[in-house]
Amino acid sequence: MAEAALQLDGVTSGYGEAMVLRGVNLTLAPGEVLAVLGKNGMGKSTLLKTIMGFLPPRDGQIYIHGRDVTRVAPYRRAAQSVAYSPQEQAIFQDLTVSENLRLGLRSDRRSAAATERVTAFFPFLGKRGRQPAGTLSGGEQKMLIMARALLSNPRLLLIDEISEGLQPSVILRLGEVLRRECATRELTILIIEQNVRFALSVASRYAVLARGEIVDAGAVGPGAETAIQDHLAV
Amino acid sequence: MNNLLLDVVTTAGILFVVAVGLLVVFGVLKIINFAHGGFLTIGGYAALIVTQLHWSPWAAPPVALILGILLGMLVERLIVRPLYSRPLDAILATWGLSIVVVQLITIGFGRGTEFVLSPLQGAVALLGTSYSLYRLAMLVVALVIGGAIAGILQGTRLGLAARAVIMNETLAQSLGINSALVRFATFSVGAGLATMAGSLITPLLSIDPLMGVPWLLNAFMLVMVSGTSLVSLAVASLVLGGAQVVVSTYGNPVLGALTIVVLAALLLRIRPTGFARA
Repeated sequence: MAEAALQLDGVTSGYGEAMVLRGVNLTLAPGEVLAVLGKNGMGKSTLLKTIMGFLPPRDGQIYIHGRDVTRVAPYRRAAQSVAYSPQEQAIFQDLTVSENLRLGLRSDRRSAAATERVTAFFPFLGKRGRQPAGTLSGGEQKMLIMARALLSNPRLLLIDEISEGLQPSVILRLGEVLRRECATRELTILIIEQNVRFALSVASRYAVLARGEIVDAGAVGPGAETAIQDHLAV
Repeated sequence: MNNLLLDVVTTAGILFVVAVGLLVVFGVLKIINFAHGGFLTIGGYAALIVTQLHWSPWAAPPVALILGILLGMLVERLIVRPLYSRPLDAILATWGLSIVVVQLITIGFGRGTEFVLSPLQGAVALLGTSYSLYRLAMLVVALVIGGAIAGILQGTRLGLAARAVIMNETLAQSLGINSALVRFATFSVGAGLATMAGSLITPLLSIDPLMGVPWLLNAFMLVMVSGTSLVSLAVASLVLGGAQVVVSTYGNPVLGALTIVVLAALLLRIRPTGFARA
Protein backbone atom coordinates (compact mmCIF):
# COMPACT_ATOMS: atom_id res chain seq x y z
CA MET A 1 0.00 0.00 0.00
CA ALA A 2 1.32 3.45 -0.94
CA GLU A 3 2.12 5.76 1.95
CA ALA A 4 -0.63 8.25 2.78
CA ALA A 5 -0.44 11.74 1.32
CA LEU A 6 -1.74 13.07 4.64
CA GLN A 7 -2.26 11.31 7.93
CA LEU A 8 -3.42 12.70 11.26
CA ASP A 9 -3.17 10.46 14.30
CA GLY A 10 -5.15 11.67 17.31
CA VAL A 11 -4.48 15.35 16.69
CA THR A 12 -5.62 17.73 19.41
CA SER A 13 -5.03 21.44 19.02
CA GLY A 14 -6.53 24.83 19.76
CA TYR A 15 -5.90 28.32 21.00
CA GLY A 16 -4.48 28.75 24.49
CA GLU A 17 -6.46 26.61 26.89
CA ALA A 18 -9.38 26.14 24.48
CA MET A 19 -9.02 22.88 22.55
CA VAL A 20 -10.79 23.14 19.19
CA LEU A 21 -9.71 19.80 17.66
CA ARG A 22 -10.00 16.70 19.83
CA GLY A 23 -8.18 13.58 18.79
CA VAL A 24 -8.79 13.88 15.06
CA ASN A 25 -7.79 10.89 12.92
CA LEU A 26 -7.67 11.34 9.14
CA THR A 27 -5.96 9.54 6.29
CA LEU A 28 -5.87 10.69 2.67
CA ALA A 29 -4.47 8.34 0.05
CA PRO A 30 -2.53 9.91 -2.84
CA GLY A 31 -4.95 11.34 -5.39
CA GLU A 32 -7.86 11.35 -2.98
CA VAL A 33 -10.11 14.39 -2.47
CA LEU A 34 -11.64 14.73 0.98
CA ALA A 35 -14.27 17.34 1.78
CA VAL A 36 -14.48 18.31 5.44
CA LEU A 37 -17.78 19.92 6.29
CA GLY A 38 -19.30 21.32 9.42
CA LYS A 39 -21.04 24.29 10.95
CA ASN A 40 -19.19 27.47 11.86
CA GLY A 41 -16.88 27.20 14.82
CA MET A 42 -16.51 23.42 14.67
CA GLY A 43 -12.78 23.51 13.98
CA LYS A 44 -12.56 23.28 10.18
CA SER A 45 -10.12 26.17 9.66
CA THR A 46 -8.23 25.14 12.80
CA LEU A 47 -7.75 21.73 11.20
CA LEU A 48 -5.97 23.27 8.18
CA LYS A 49 -3.93 25.68 10.31
CA THR A 50 -2.78 22.72 12.40
CA ILE A 51 -1.88 20.67 9.32
CA MET A 52 0.13 23.63 7.96
CA GLY A 53 1.92 24.13 11.27
CA PHE A 54 0.52 27.51 12.27
CA LEU A 55 -1.00 25.89 15.35
CA PRO A 56 1.22 23.34 17.09
CA PRO A 57 -0.82 20.28 18.10
CA ARG A 58 -1.21 19.71 21.81
CA ASP A 59 -1.25 15.99 21.11
CA GLY A 60 -1.00 13.58 18.18
CA GLN A 61 1.11 13.28 15.04
CA ILE A 62 0.85 14.67 11.51
CA TYR A 63 2.45 12.92 8.53
CA ILE A 64 2.74 14.38 5.02
CA HIS A 65 3.82 11.94 2.31
CA GLY A 66 4.96 9.58 5.07
CA ARG A 67 7.14 12.11 6.87
CA ASP A 68 6.39 13.18 10.43
CA VAL A 69 5.94 16.96 10.20
CA THR A 70 4.36 17.51 13.61
CA ARG A 71 7.17 19.86 14.70
CA VAL A 72 8.20 21.13 11.27
CA ALA A 73 7.93 24.86 10.44
CA PRO A 74 5.10 25.92 8.07
CA TYR A 75 7.49 27.04 5.30
CA ARG A 76 9.16 23.62 5.32
CA ARG A 77 5.78 21.91 5.02
CA ALA A 78 4.96 24.15 2.06
CA ALA A 79 8.26 23.15 0.50
CA GLN A 80 7.10 19.52 0.69
CA SER A 81 4.76 20.12 -2.25
CA VAL A 82 1.94 21.36 -0.03
CA ALA A 83 -0.16 24.34 -1.12
CA TYR A 84 -2.49 26.08 1.30
CA SER A 85 -5.30 28.43 0.42
CA PRO A 86 -6.46 30.16 3.63
CA GLN A 87 -9.98 31.48 4.05
CA GLU A 88 -9.00 35.06 4.86
CA GLN A 89 -6.19 37.41 3.82
CA ALA A 90 -5.10 34.93 1.19
CA ILE A 91 -3.60 37.40 -1.29
CA PHE A 92 -1.03 40.16 -1.04
CA GLN A 93 -3.31 43.10 -1.77
CA ASP A 94 -0.55 45.58 -2.65
CA LEU A 95 1.40 43.21 -4.88
CA THR A 96 0.46 42.84 -8.52
CA VAL A 97 -1.30 39.81 -9.93
CA SER A 98 2.01 38.67 -11.49
CA GLU A 99 3.89 39.05 -8.21
CA ASN A 100 1.24 37.07 -6.34
CA LEU A 101 1.54 34.31 -8.93
CA ARG A 102 5.34 34.41 -8.79
CA LEU A 103 5.19 33.75 -5.06
CA GLY A 104 3.39 30.50 -5.83
CA LEU A 105 6.44 29.25 -7.69
CA ARG A 106 9.18 27.66 -5.64
CA SER A 107 11.77 29.26 -7.94
CA ASP A 108 11.79 31.49 -11.00
CA ARG A 109 13.16 28.71 -13.21
CA ARG A 110 10.66 27.46 -15.78
CA SER A 111 8.20 30.01 -14.46
CA ALA A 112 6.91 30.90 -17.93
CA ALA A 113 5.71 27.38 -18.74
CA ALA A 114 4.12 26.89 -15.31
CA THR A 115 2.42 30.27 -15.43
CA GLU A 116 1.14 29.59 -18.94
CA ARG A 117 -0.31 26.24 -17.83
CA VAL A 118 -2.18 27.73 -14.88
CA THR A 119 -3.31 30.98 -16.48
CA ALA A 120 -4.91 28.86 -19.21
CA PHE A 121 -7.49 27.99 -16.52
CA PHE A 122 -8.10 31.67 -15.74
CA PRO A 123 -7.16 33.68 -18.86
CA PHE A 124 -7.84 37.10 -17.26
CA LEU A 125 -4.80 36.62 -15.01
CA GLY A 126 -2.47 36.67 -18.00
CA LYS A 127 -3.92 39.95 -19.22
CA ARG A 128 -3.96 41.78 -15.88
CA GLY A 129 -0.56 40.86 -14.50
CA ARG A 130 0.34 44.44 -13.59
CA GLN A 131 -2.87 45.15 -11.73
CA PRO A 132 -2.66 45.33 -7.92
CA ALA A 133 -4.28 42.13 -6.65
CA GLY A 134 -6.34 44.07 -4.11
CA THR A 135 -8.26 45.76 -6.93
CA LEU A 136 -9.58 42.47 -8.35
CA SER A 137 -13.18 41.49 -7.62
CA GLY A 138 -13.85 38.89 -4.92
CA GLY A 139 -14.31 36.12 -7.48
CA GLU A 140 -11.17 37.11 -9.39
CA GLN A 141 -9.18 37.11 -6.16
CA LYS A 142 -10.34 33.54 -5.43
CA MET A 143 -9.27 32.49 -8.94
CA LEU A 144 -5.90 34.13 -8.35
CA ILE A 145 -5.56 32.20 -5.08
CA MET A 146 -6.38 28.95 -6.84
CA ALA A 147 -3.96 29.70 -9.70
CA ARG A 148 -1.15 30.55 -7.26
CA ALA A 149 -1.77 27.34 -5.31
CA LEU A 150 -1.65 25.22 -8.48
CA LEU A 151 1.47 26.99 -9.78
CA SER A 152 3.61 25.27 -7.17
CA ASN A 153 2.52 21.95 -8.70
CA PRO A 154 1.48 20.67 -5.28
CA ARG A 155 0.97 17.03 -4.37
CA LEU A 156 -1.25 18.06 -1.46
CA LEU A 157 -3.64 20.99 -1.68
CA LEU A 158 -5.41 22.40 1.40
CA ILE A 159 -8.33 24.69 0.57
CA ASP A 160 -10.32 26.65 3.15
CA GLU A 161 -13.83 27.72 2.07
CA ILE A 162 -12.87 29.04 -1.33
CA SER A 163 -16.49 29.23 -2.49
CA GLU A 164 -17.57 31.60 0.27
CA GLY A 165 -19.37 34.65 -1.12
CA LEU A 166 -18.83 33.73 -4.75
CA GLN A 167 -21.36 33.79 -7.56
CA PRO A 168 -22.38 30.37 -8.92
CA SER A 169 -20.49 30.72 -12.22
CA VAL A 170 -17.19 31.28 -10.41
CA ILE A 171 -17.86 28.32 -8.09
CA LEU A 172 -18.51 26.15 -11.14
CA ARG A 173 -15.27 27.32 -12.74
CA LEU A 174 -13.22 26.56 -9.62
CA GLY A 175 -14.80 23.11 -9.40
CA GLU A 176 -13.95 22.41 -13.05
CA VAL A 177 -10.34 23.43 -12.52
CA LEU A 178 -9.94 21.21 -9.45
CA ARG A 179 -11.49 18.21 -11.18
CA ARG A 180 -9.30 18.71 -14.25
CA GLU A 181 -6.14 18.94 -12.14
CA CYS A 182 -7.09 15.76 -10.27
CA ALA A 183 -7.79 13.96 -13.54
CA THR A 184 -4.44 14.85 -15.09
CA ARG A 185 -2.11 14.09 -12.18
CA GLU A 186 -1.99 12.63 -8.69
CA LEU A 187 -3.20 15.56 -6.63
CA THR A 188 -4.52 15.04 -3.11
CA ILE A 189 -6.96 17.66 -1.86
CA LEU A 190 -8.40 18.42 1.55
CA ILE A 191 -11.17 20.93 1.01
CA ILE A 192 -13.00 22.68 3.84
CA GLU A 193 -16.45 23.85 2.79
CA GLN A 194 -19.85 24.99 3.90
CA ASN A 195 -21.18 24.72 0.35
CA VAL A 196 -22.07 21.02 0.39
CA ARG A 197 -22.90 20.71 -3.33
CA PHE A 198 -19.65 22.31 -4.42
CA ALA A 199 -17.65 20.17 -2.01
CA LEU A 200 -19.27 16.94 -3.14
CA SER A 201 -18.83 17.88 -6.82
CA VAL A 202 -15.07 17.80 -6.25
CA ALA A 203 -14.57 15.22 -3.48
CA SER A 204 -14.44 11.44 -3.48
CA ARG A 205 -14.91 11.21 0.29
CA TYR A 206 -16.39 13.44 2.98
CA ALA A 207 -16.01 13.91 6.71
CA VAL A 208 -18.18 15.94 9.06
CA LEU A 209 -16.52 17.85 11.87
CA ALA A 210 -18.53 18.76 14.97
CA ARG A 211 -17.07 20.20 18.19
CA GLY A 212 -13.60 19.29 17.04
CA GLU A 213 -14.29 15.64 16.31
CA ILE A 214 -15.04 13.69 13.13
CA VAL A 215 -18.63 12.57 13.70
CA ASP A 216 -19.38 11.11 10.28
CA ALA A 217 -17.39 10.09 7.22
CA GLY A 218 -17.99 8.17 4.04
CA ALA A 219 -17.68 7.96 0.29
CA VAL A 220 -19.39 10.55 -1.88
CA GLY A 221 -22.40 8.94 -3.49
CA PRO A 222 -26.17 8.80 -3.32
CA GLY A 223 -27.35 9.80 0.10
CA ALA A 224 -24.15 11.58 1.10
CA GLU A 225 -25.65 15.05 0.73
CA THR A 226 -28.67 14.16 2.84
CA ALA A 227 -26.46 12.63 5.53
CA ILE A 228 -24.28 15.74 5.64
CA GLN A 229 -27.24 18.14 5.67
CA ASP A 230 -28.61 16.30 8.69
CA HIS A 231 -25.42 17.19 10.54
CA LEU A 232 -25.47 20.79 9.35
CA ALA A 233 -29.12 21.43 10.20
CA VAL A 234 -29.51 23.92 13.03
CA MET B 1 19.97 81.28 -1.68
CA ASN B 2 21.55 78.62 -3.90
CA ASN B 3 23.78 77.68 -0.99
CA LEU B 4 20.68 77.17 1.14
CA LEU B 5 19.11 75.02 -1.57
CA LEU B 6 22.21 72.84 -1.73
CA ASP B 7 22.25 72.60 2.08
CA VAL B 8 18.65 71.40 2.02
CA VAL B 9 19.15 68.67 -0.59
CA THR B 10 22.45 67.43 0.82
CA THR B 11 21.05 67.39 4.37
CA ALA B 12 18.13 65.35 3.03
CA GLY B 13 20.63 62.95 1.46
CA ILE B 14 22.56 62.60 4.72
CA LEU B 15 19.39 62.01 6.74
CA PHE B 16 18.21 59.42 4.23
CA VAL B 17 21.52 57.55 4.47
CA VAL B 18 21.37 57.63 8.28
CA ALA B 19 17.72 56.51 8.55
CA VAL B 20 17.40 53.95 5.75
CA GLY B 21 18.79 51.03 7.78
CA LEU B 22 16.30 51.73 10.55
CA LEU B 23 13.46 51.86 8.00
CA VAL B 24 14.47 48.55 6.42
CA VAL B 25 14.51 46.79 9.81
CA PHE B 26 11.23 48.39 10.87
CA GLY B 27 9.58 47.40 7.59
CA VAL B 28 10.28 43.70 7.86
CA LEU B 29 10.70 43.06 11.60
CA LYS B 30 8.07 45.58 12.80
CA ILE B 31 10.40 46.66 15.59
CA ILE B 32 12.35 49.88 16.04
CA ASN B 33 15.99 48.93 16.37
CA PHE B 34 17.22 51.34 19.02
CA ALA B 35 20.67 49.83 18.65
CA HIS B 36 20.73 51.77 15.34
CA GLY B 37 22.47 54.67 17.14
CA GLY B 38 25.03 52.22 18.52
CA PHE B 39 25.67 50.83 15.05
CA LEU B 40 26.11 54.38 13.72
CA THR B 41 28.73 54.95 16.43
CA ILE B 42 30.47 51.67 15.62
CA GLY B 43 30.64 52.81 11.99
CA GLY B 44 32.19 56.10 13.08
CA TYR B 45 34.86 54.29 15.08
CA ALA B 46 35.44 51.87 12.20
CA ALA B 47 36.30 54.95 10.12
CA LEU B 48 38.58 56.14 12.92
CA ILE B 49 40.42 52.80 12.98
CA VAL B 50 40.83 52.96 9.20
CA THR B 51 42.37 56.42 9.63
CA GLN B 52 44.64 55.26 12.47
CA LEU B 53 45.83 52.32 10.33
CA HIS B 54 46.67 54.85 7.59
CA TRP B 55 44.39 53.07 5.14
CA SER B 56 42.68 55.04 2.42
CA PRO B 57 39.59 56.89 3.72
CA TRP B 58 37.71 55.19 0.87
CA ALA B 59 38.11 51.91 2.76
CA ALA B 60 36.03 53.13 5.72
CA PRO B 61 32.49 52.67 4.29
CA PRO B 62 33.02 49.08 3.02
CA VAL B 63 34.85 48.10 6.20
CA ALA B 64 32.03 49.56 8.29
CA LEU B 65 29.40 47.86 6.11
CA ILE B 66 30.97 44.41 6.49
CA LEU B 67 31.55 44.90 10.21
CA GLY B 68 27.94 46.02 10.66
CA ILE B 69 26.52 43.06 8.74
CA LEU B 70 28.55 40.62 10.85
CA LEU B 71 27.54 42.32 14.10
CA GLY B 72 23.95 42.46 12.89
CA MET B 73 23.97 38.70 12.28
CA LEU B 74 25.22 38.14 15.81
CA VAL B 75 22.74 40.53 17.42
CA GLU B 76 19.77 39.14 15.48
CA ARG B 77 20.63 35.57 16.38
CA LEU B 78 21.45 36.14 20.06
CA ILE B 79 19.31 39.07 21.15
CA VAL B 80 16.51 39.93 18.74
CA ARG B 81 15.35 36.53 17.45
CA PRO B 82 14.38 35.11 20.86
CA LEU B 83 12.20 38.21 21.39
CA TYR B 84 10.22 38.29 18.12
CA SER B 85 7.08 37.20 19.92
CA ARG B 86 7.61 40.03 22.47
CA PRO B 87 8.21 43.12 20.28
CA LEU B 88 8.29 45.56 23.20
CA ASP B 89 10.99 43.51 24.91
CA ALA B 90 12.89 43.35 21.61
CA ILE B 91 12.83 47.15 21.39
CA LEU B 92 14.02 47.48 25.01
CA ALA B 93 16.77 44.92 24.35
CA THR B 94 18.07 46.93 21.38
CA TRP B 95 17.98 50.08 23.55
CA GLY B 96 20.01 48.24 26.18
CA LEU B 97 22.42 47.08 23.51
CA SER B 98 23.02 50.67 22.39
CA ILE B 99 23.95 51.58 25.99
CA VAL B 100 26.37 48.62 26.10
CA VAL B 101 27.92 49.77 22.81
CA VAL B 102 28.48 53.30 24.18
CA GLN B 103 30.11 51.93 27.33
CA LEU B 104 32.35 49.48 25.47
CA ILE B 105 33.49 52.20 23.08
CA THR B 106 34.16 54.52 26.02
CA ILE B 107 36.28 51.81 27.65
CA GLY B 108 38.15 51.12 24.43
CA PHE B 109 38.61 54.62 23.01
CA GLY B 110 37.91 57.02 25.88
CA ARG B 111 35.40 59.89 26.02
CA GLY B 112 37.42 62.29 23.89
CA THR B 113 36.40 63.49 20.46
CA GLU B 114 38.20 62.22 17.40
CA PHE B 115 38.35 63.20 13.74
CA VAL B 116 38.87 61.28 10.52
CA LEU B 117 40.10 62.20 7.09
CA SER B 118 37.57 62.87 4.37
CA PRO B 119 38.00 60.87 1.17
CA LEU B 120 36.87 63.94 -0.78
CA GLN B 121 38.42 67.28 0.10
CA GLY B 122 37.58 70.75 -1.08
CA ALA B 123 34.72 72.47 -2.81
CA VAL B 124 33.21 72.58 -6.25
CA ALA B 125 31.51 75.43 -8.10
CA LEU B 126 27.81 74.72 -8.47
CA LEU B 127 24.76 76.95 -9.03
CA GLY B 128 26.95 80.00 -8.75
CA THR B 129 28.37 79.08 -5.38
CA SER B 130 31.29 77.09 -4.06
CA TYR B 131 30.04 74.00 -2.27
CA SER B 132 31.49 71.08 -0.27
CA LEU B 133 32.33 68.20 -2.58
CA TYR B 134 31.80 65.67 0.21
CA ARG B 135 28.28 66.86 1.03
CA LEU B 136 27.38 66.61 -2.66
CA ALA B 137 28.85 63.12 -2.72
CA MET B 138 26.56 62.17 0.19
CA LEU B 139 23.59 63.08 -1.99
CA VAL B 140 24.86 60.73 -4.67
CA VAL B 141 25.44 58.01 -2.04
CA ALA B 142 21.85 58.44 -0.84
CA LEU B 143 20.55 58.05 -4.40
CA VAL B 144 22.71 54.97 -4.97
CA ILE B 145 21.64 53.32 -1.68
CA GLY B 146 17.98 54.16 -2.26
CA GLY B 147 18.17 52.91 -5.85
CA ALA B 148 19.95 49.71 -4.82
CA ILE B 149 17.44 48.88 -2.09
CA ALA B 150 14.50 49.68 -4.39
CA GLY B 151 16.10 47.54 -7.11
CA ILE B 152 16.51 44.59 -4.74
CA LEU B 153 12.96 44.94 -3.39
CA GLN B 154 11.32 45.34 -6.80
CA GLY B 155 13.57 43.31 -9.04
CA THR B 156 14.68 40.20 -7.19
CA ARG B 157 13.01 37.15 -5.70
CA LEU B 158 14.58 37.96 -2.33
CA GLY B 159 13.02 41.43 -2.49
CA LEU B 160 9.65 39.95 -3.42
CA ALA B 161 9.91 37.56 -0.46
CA ALA B 162 10.80 40.47 1.83
CA ARG B 163 7.80 42.47 0.61
CA ALA B 164 5.57 39.43 1.11
CA VAL B 165 6.83 39.06 4.69
CA ILE B 166 6.24 42.78 5.30
CA MET B 167 2.64 42.50 4.09
CA ASN B 168 1.55 39.16 5.54
CA GLU B 169 4.12 36.96 7.24
CA THR B 170 1.75 34.02 7.82
CA LEU B 171 0.71 33.89 4.18
CA ALA B 172 4.33 34.21 3.10
CA GLN B 173 5.26 31.21 5.26
CA SER B 174 2.41 29.19 3.77
CA LEU B 175 3.99 29.82 0.36
CA GLY B 176 7.29 28.32 1.46
CA ILE B 177 9.08 31.55 2.37
CA ASN B 178 11.46 31.19 5.30
CA SER B 179 10.47 34.38 7.06
CA ALA B 180 13.04 33.81 9.83
CA LEU B 181 15.77 33.90 7.20
CA VAL B 182 14.28 37.05 5.65
CA ARG B 183 14.26 38.69 9.10
CA PHE B 184 17.85 37.59 9.75
CA ALA B 185 19.07 38.95 6.41
CA THR B 186 17.10 42.18 6.83
CA PHE B 187 18.38 42.91 10.33
CA SER B 188 21.95 42.19 9.25
CA VAL B 189 21.68 44.45 6.21
CA GLY B 190 19.97 47.14 8.34
CA ALA B 191 22.86 47.02 10.81
CA GLY B 192 25.35 47.17 7.94
CA LEU B 193 23.60 50.20 6.48
CA ALA B 194 23.75 51.88 9.90
CA THR B 195 27.49 51.29 10.40
CA MET B 196 28.19 52.39 6.83
CA ALA B 197 26.14 55.56 7.46
CA GLY B 198 28.15 56.12 10.65
CA SER B 199 31.41 55.96 8.69
CA LEU B 200 30.02 58.21 5.95
CA ILE B 201 28.97 61.03 8.29
CA THR B 202 32.25 61.08 10.24
CA PRO B 203 34.10 63.40 7.83
CA LEU B 204 31.35 65.97 8.53
CA LEU B 205 31.55 65.89 12.33
CA SER B 206 33.56 64.73 15.28
CA ILE B 207 33.49 61.20 16.66
CA ASP B 208 32.64 60.42 20.26
CA PRO B 209 30.91 57.53 22.05
CA LEU B 210 27.56 59.36 22.05
CA MET B 211 27.66 60.51 18.42
CA GLY B 212 24.84 58.11 17.48
CA VAL B 213 22.24 59.49 19.91
CA PRO B 214 21.09 62.67 18.08
CA TRP B 215 21.16 60.85 14.76
CA LEU B 216 19.08 58.02 16.21
CA LEU B 217 16.43 60.50 17.39
CA ASN B 218 16.19 62.11 13.95
CA ALA B 219 16.19 58.74 12.18
CA PHE B 220 13.50 57.43 14.53
CA MET B 221 11.20 60.39 13.85
CA LEU B 222 11.82 60.18 10.11
CA VAL B 223 10.87 56.50 10.10
CA MET B 224 7.79 57.20 12.23
CA VAL B 225 6.50 59.62 9.58
CA SER B 226 7.55 57.40 6.66
CA GLY B 227 6.12 54.00 7.56
CA THR B 228 7.89 51.39 5.45
CA SER B 229 8.24 53.36 2.21
CA LEU B 230 11.59 54.45 0.78
CA VAL B 231 9.88 57.20 -1.21
CA SER B 232 8.18 58.50 1.94
CA LEU B 233 11.53 58.47 3.72
CA ALA B 234 13.07 60.52 0.91
CA VAL B 235 10.19 63.02 1.07
CA ALA B 236 10.37 63.19 4.88
CA SER B 237 14.14 63.72 4.75
CA LEU B 238 13.71 66.52 2.23
CA VAL B 239 10.84 68.30 4.01
CA LEU B 240 11.94 67.90 7.63
CA GLY B 241 15.64 68.12 6.83
CA GLY B 242 14.92 71.25 4.79
CA ALA B 243 13.06 72.77 7.73
CA GLN B 244 16.02 71.95 9.98
CA VAL B 245 18.39 73.75 7.62
CA VAL B 246 16.12 76.82 7.39
CA VAL B 247 15.69 77.05 11.18
CA SER B 248 19.42 76.57 11.76
CA THR B 249 20.36 79.14 9.11
CA TYR B 250 17.86 81.90 9.90
CA GLY B 251 17.15 81.09 13.52
CA ASN B 252 19.22 79.19 15.99
CA PRO B 253 21.30 76.01 15.41
CA VAL B 254 20.12 74.63 18.78
CA LEU B 255 16.49 75.06 17.71
CA GLY B 256 17.45 73.65 14.34
CA ALA B 257 18.58 70.44 16.00
CA LEU B 258 15.10 70.05 17.50
CA THR B 259 13.23 70.84 14.29
CA ILE B 260 12.86 67.30 12.94
CA VAL B 261 11.64 65.86 16.24
CA VAL B 262 9.13 68.68 16.84
CA LEU B 263 7.79 68.82 13.28
CA ALA B 264 7.50 65.03 13.06
CA ALA B 265 5.55 64.94 16.33
CA LEU B 266 3.22 67.69 15.07
CA LEU B 267 2.78 65.94 11.73
CA LEU B 268 1.87 62.65 13.40
CA ARG B 269 -0.66 64.52 15.58
CA ILE B 270 -2.37 65.95 12.48
CA ARG B 271 -1.84 63.01 10.12
CA PRO B 272 -1.05 59.71 11.87
CA THR B 273 0.28 58.10 8.68
CA GLY B 274 2.76 60.95 8.20
CA PHE B 275 4.20 60.99 4.69
CA ALA B 276 3.21 57.37 4.10
CA ARG B 277 0.12 56.46 2.15
CA ALA B 278 -2.94 55.98 4.33
